[in-house]
Amino acid sequence: MNPGTIGVTVDNVSKRYAHRVKGEIYAARDVRIDVRPGEFLTLLGPSGCGKTTTLRMIAGFERPDAGQIRFGGEDVTDLPANLRNIGFVFQNYALFPHLAVGENVAYGLRVRGQPEATIDKRVREVLALVGLAGYEQQFPGQLSGGEQQRVALARAIVIEPRVLLFDEPLSNLDAKLRVEMRDEIRALQRRLAITTIYVTHDQEEAMAVSDRIAVMSGGSVVQDGSAEDLYHRPATEFVARFVGRVNLIAAEVKGAHAGALDVEALGGVIRVRSRATGARVGDRVQLVLRPEAIVLAATPVATALSGTIEARTFLGEKVEYRVRCGGESLQVVGYNAGPGSALAAGSVVGVTINAEATTVVPQ
Amino acid sequence: MNATAARPAFGRDPAVTAAVIVLWLLLALFVVYPLAMLFVRIVVDKGALDLSGIVKILTDRHQVRAFWNSLLLAFLVGIAGTLIGFLFAFTAARTRLPRAALTLLDASVLLPLVSPPFTTAIAMIFSFGPRGLITYDLLGIKGVTVYGLTSTLCSEVLTYFPIAYLTLRPILAAIDSNVEGMAFSLGASRWRVFRTVTLPLAVPGLANAFLLLFAASLADFATPLILGGNQFPVLPTQAFLQITGMFDLRGGAALSLVLLVPAMIVFLLQRYWVSRRYYVTITGKGAGQTPFDSVSPWVRRALLTACVATVVVVVYFYALLFYASIVVAFGANHALTLQHYRVIFTEGLKAIRDTLIIAGFAMPLGGLYGVLLGYLVTKKQFVGRRTMEVVSMVNYALPGTIVGIAYLIAFNDPPIELTGTALVIIACYVFRYGPTGIRATVALLSQIDRSIEEASQGLGAGSGTTFRRVTLPLIMPAFFAGLGVVFIRSMTAISATIFLVSISWTLITVKILENMTELALGPAAAFSVLVVAIVFVVIGAVGWLLRSFRAPGAARVTSLLGG
Repeated sequence: MNPGTIGVTVDNVSKRYAHRVKGEIYAARDVRIDVRPGEFLTLLGPSGCGKTTTLRMIAGFERPDAGQIRFGGEDVTDLPANLRNIGFVFQNYALFPHLAVGENVAYGLRVRGQPEATIDKRVREVLALVGLAGYEQQFPGQLSGGEQQRVALARAIVIEPRVLLFDEPLSNLDAKLRVEMRDEIRALQRRLAITTIYVTHDQEEAMAVSDRIAVMSGGSVVQDGSAEDLYHRPATEFVARFVGRVNLIAAEVKGAHAGALDVEALGGVIRVRSRATGARVGDRVQLVLRPEAIVLAATPVATALSGTIEARTFLGEKVEYRVRCGGESLQVVGYNAGPGSALAAGSVVGVTINAEATTVVPQ
Repeated sequence: MNATAARPAFGRDPAVTAAVIVLWLLLALFVVYPLAMLFVRIVVDKGALDLSGIVKILTDRHQVRAFWNSLLLAFLVGIAGTLIGFLFAFTAARTRLPRAALTLLDASVLLPLVSPPFTTAIAMIFSFGPRGLITYDLLGIKGVTVYGLTSTLCSEVLTYFPIAYLTLRPILAAIDSNVEGMAFSLGASRWRVFRTVTLPLAVPGLANAFLLLFAASLADFATPLILGGNQFPVLPTQAFLQITGMFDLRGGAALSLVLLVPAMIVFLLQRYWVSRRYYVTITGKGAGQTPFDSVSPWVRRALLTACVATVVVVVYFYALLFYASIVVAFGANHALTLQHYRVIFTEGLKAIRDTLIIAGFAMPLGGLYGVLLGYLVTKKQFVGRRTMEVVSMVNYALPGTIVGIAYLIAFNDPPIELTGTALVIIACYVFRYGPTGIRATVALLSQIDRSIEEASQGLGAGSGTTFRRVTLPLIMPAFFAGLGVVFIRSMTAISATIFLVSISWTLITVKILENMTELALGPAAAFSVLVVAIVFVVIGAVGWLLRSFRAPGAARVTSLLGG
């Protein structure tokens, strides 16, 4: 890791907007984020959740109404964007259309008054790094979307920014390129070890690139943690729904043990691993059942629940089922175990819940 | 030419064929024929090719000076007008003005745009003339001459800078504020962002604005006639004086034709240089974010102050004009009176009635002509389609003086004797200002996806029903835009039609000019106020029609004046 690598602290930051109908609304409300030096943190949430506003405040394009933003302990809240030494990648790339690729990348270096020879060398190095060696003389209008994206990336990293900021950088690319580019961004970030904050509404993209994800909703961070944390131990129904596919089933706590709960749902009692503190016997909760945490057996088993297959979709490596069980319709994913292994629609099956992969959230 | 063989020959639809033939006949008669006659008249004298008289007048020292004066004036108007237009456009697009302030800015810009072109010239005399409010009453200077380059320049800049504003504003608004934000985040100061990003991206727009103003000034006839005086002759006024003063139609024609050279150069530059230098927005989805603050608070204040100062000057000029129309004799007797209005509604009533009748006929005809021709050249395939589009723009692009003299020459004698009739004036307006409607129609139609019409046909509608139910409603805004422009120009134009008025048919604008030369300033002011009032009422009505006919989400026809 670079010795100069710093962390970013967003400390209780709020931003209000005047709204024509609703009066004053909060675009961001008491946002707290602590990004460690060299970490790749993603702000994930649906549109209007405040993620882009938060990012723009970190960049210095917007000024918070309350709270503080610190770069490695230095208070930058009142520092304009041009003095923060950041690299920003816009959703629409925002390349300078009147400058060739080389000049686009050189812009930040020229502003910093670097000698011509250094600029030349750095531009060539960075363009090679993003796989665009020899593109110096081309104009942005002549490039494909993926290439434009790489130029935007090169332009942001060439100045060796303290923090790298991405605002939905892949949403203008087609699906295949999106996967390719996100892997490249991740690899490049690892290599350069620049503290990075990334905004997206795509939970799969967030899981693929991030060290840590902060899920935002209604202007605030509702939960942050690794992709696995968020998937397996969502704190709220919103997080459970937003990260991954889920069956949310109304349930009642019947027994509480150390690290486990017995809940009544789907016409039976199911034991789940849960660290959710405070859930007491008699509480109404929601059972978070991931599609792959439900195991189907071809014949009903005595210890398990039983269900009927309503529909099935064969998808190659996996098979998706819709199973009627205890008055609910469940989404279930099973792996294809070979020809003839898929269960037929209409058949009665045994339904077992994987307690380790299941949790509850408050109702 | 070989490619035409592959195309369906001359339209299978008899209605289209008929419309195309009629349009070609009209274009031949009112665009090609007058210009051809103008050329012939210049080079042929008494049945033989003769260039000596022409060479003599074109090498006359006085006329050569007028030529250079014209170029100098146009150049200066281009520079100064573009600067003020950019100031307004930048302020409107980049300083997050409140809505009310923007409306005010637009309204004050509209004022000179829709007035007769010489209204500011008249106000200039009221303000800075021998008995002017500022020169005489405020500063006490006696025997001042307002005539010359400076006053002509100021007056034309105030008249034409709105064109630059309307050209530049959409260009500045289209510059993605993220691009500026990006430069800012890379460490550039706001000034550097402006210098290295905003300004370079606006260069094609600036060039275009300059060329438009250059052409407008070059063709302007009334302002220099009022303000140029003997000190500062320019080509359009020289051509006019040659014809009306020396009764030398041929010499006037030759002089007007000299204007064609710079006008053509400007047109070619616009078409082949400027249009290729617009940077297409290469980005996909807009970010939809609030724009980045591209000016610091004190720059914002400075910009606003400069805009307000300009607006104050414009408003002052128009207020002065109004004041002069309600006092007995401006500069001498400031007792309030309505006598000038009484005069224009008695002695001047004929001019008002004639103008309204002519405008009333030209308006629907021009609107229809624009939509029909625009529709045919975009949606139908026929031989000579491109040529028709180009020919239809000729009268629009030429300085009015050339068009007026050409019409005068062409329709003065048999076989087609129209001089002195209302028809020749109406035709002049339809073919000179109808092209705004053509351009609006072409722009609207090219934004309408072909699949919309195909969807209608796929649902079983015939091509007639599709046109009536789908295409027509979509191009209604263009029809009203064309209508509005033809009406406004019919009320305010003078450079071409001053050659076409007669005892039987005259125009308010010509009357104003006559009043000015007879120093009947009161009636001139009253006439001007009347024209501005009528035009504002009509613009309001057309604007209302445009809004009520615009389908939600359909493209807007933004400018009533169409560049």
